Amino acid sequence: MHTDKISSFLKLVGEQIRWEKAQPIVVEEIQNHIEDLKNALMDDGLDEDKAIDQAIKEMGDPVVIGEQLNRVHKPKPDWAMLILICGILLLGLAIQYYCYYTRSSISDSMSALSIFQKHILSIVVGMILLIVAYFIDFTIVGKYPKTIFIILYIVCIYYILNGNLINGQVQDTIYPLLLFPTAFAGFVYSMRNKGYIGIIICGIGFLLPASIALLSPNMTMLFFLCISCLIILTSSVTKGWFEVSKLSGLLIIYVPTAFTFIAMLYGIVSSGWRRESISVFLSNDNIVTGANWLTTQIQLHLSHAKLIGIGSPIDAVGQTLPAIHTHHLLTYIIYNFRWIAFAGIILLFSTLIIRGIILSRRQKSILGYLISLSVITTFTMQCIIYISVNLGFAFFSPLSLPLISFGRKYLVVNLFLLGLLLSVFRTGDYMRDSKTKIASNQLLPFIQYKEGTIHINLKSKTIK
Amino acid sequence: MAVDKNLLSGSTTMLLLKLLERGDMYGYQMIAELKNRSKNVFELKAGTLYPLLHAMEKKGFVTSYDKAADNNRVRKYYSITKEGLQALQDKKNEWNTYASAINRILGGVNCAY
Repeated sequence: MHTDKISSFLKLVGEQIRWEKAQPIVVEEIQNHIEDLKNALMDDGLDEDKAIDQAIKEMGDPVVIGEQLNRVHKPKPDWAMLILICGILLLGLAIQYYCYYTRSSISDSMSALSIFQKHILSIVVGMILLIVAYFIDFTIVGKYPKTIFIILYIVCIYYILNGNLINGQVQDTIYPLLLFPTAFAGFVYSMRNKGYIGIIICGIGFLLPASIALLSPNMTMLFFLCISCLIILTSSVTKGWFEVSKLSGLLIIYVPTAFTFIAMLYGIVSSGWRRESISVFLSNDNIVTGANWLTTQIQLHLSHAKLIGIGSPIDAVGQTLPAIHTHHLLTYIIYNFRWIAFAGIILLFSTLIIRGIILSRRQKSILGYLISLSVITTFTMQCIIYISVNLGFAFFSPLSLPLISFGRKYLVVNLFLLGLLLSVFRTGDYMRDSKTKIASNQLLPFIQYKEGTIHINLKSKTIK
Repeated sequence: MAVDKNLLSGSTTMLLLKLLERGDMYGYQMIAELKNRSKNVFELKAGTLYPLLHAMEKKGFVTSYDKAADNNRVRKYYSITKEGLQALQDKKNEWNTYASAINRILGGVNCAY
């Protein structure tokens, strides 16, 4: 009877809040308030019945309270982020158009026009996926991490077995692997309170995508996955997600990582073509047609670029910067549009990344935090690798310059991830990590039969 | 003494921020504290408090976190942010300008010539 009065009051408040995700959290707070008020009145000498009546009376009109709260709690997209994404996309489009305009033919298989058309089509498909991801309940990543992990793994295995080999490398595994850090965030989330065992299971989980990167073989992807997953795992340990001592937790992560890193370095230095490729890279022979020709090309273009004004002419031999739409777009832009264009692009990306970090740090649920962190990391790592390569530090082959360089699957995957990021920023404040919600207790039936036991729900307590 | 609600409406944000400047609090605690410290003059209703608090949180003036209380309950505590402290300072300045102007007109103790 007593709870009925409070329940119907709370029901009325909740009904006024149109956005369902906001209802439980808001109603729970009001419920706590009534309980506190009731207890205070009982301390003043009122019996429970009268205290409840008085408390409800003092609360005011539930419809008015609900309506006022409804005005505050409406899902709003993060406009700044959305405008930044659209701005970078438009910039990419303009750059691709410039490439099409200045170069009639890029390769034998694809004309500059078809590249430009495909770029536009990818943006359309990507934007549709961004919108879908924006409206997706991002908590499914935390609810079904193993399923997502296995699906991505199967896709990767399929590509390994059937994918096209380009220069001895399976390129197609890159795209599912770009989604792995986000899936890994969900996986780490599911290891709550599992202690050191949880951290070790996460480490084993990481070996799945890492093995795909090794099998592909794609060292850039391996580096990308290592850094991304380390960031996610480190953040979880420092946030106390595994309920272990922070120092020991970090040691469990970094000691094996350091050993693996040293072993890999030893493997590279001791034998094989990788050692040769590194020594070529370090030799800096500066001969345009030499073994280190690509780095030389990049450095040549950069050295001819000007702060203001188009780059000074390069002699005929030096005019062959390859893959300007994809891998070396930024070098091409710096050369043709001056260093100031480079500064502008860096500024745009930095703004997006910094805003992303600020908003992800504000997330109240660890799931929202981990997913947004994973997307930002995926985005940032692509930028860092791409920019380094385009500045001549070509230890790795580049991935993409997100939303700008040509690459249909890159564009689609990146836009999908950004949609998920926007979804976190839209609804993240209303997510809770605890599996049992206090407010939902009132919805439980009085007597419940479950797994051979009878549960009697008395207010918020359950007696078996 | 009953006070016209209109007098209070513009300055509730300032009063709540002032309370939170001293330490983190949950909603009911704020109402009780405000009532107590104003000697029963300010009796804020839950219907005014929560929309205001939630709007302040959206603006970044306060931030909230859950903390376990007795009886398996989880309480939502509010904490003032840097932006909130700045907003409090602005509101205080605004209030002082307003109060001294009113006093000048009413010719009270702080009457300026």
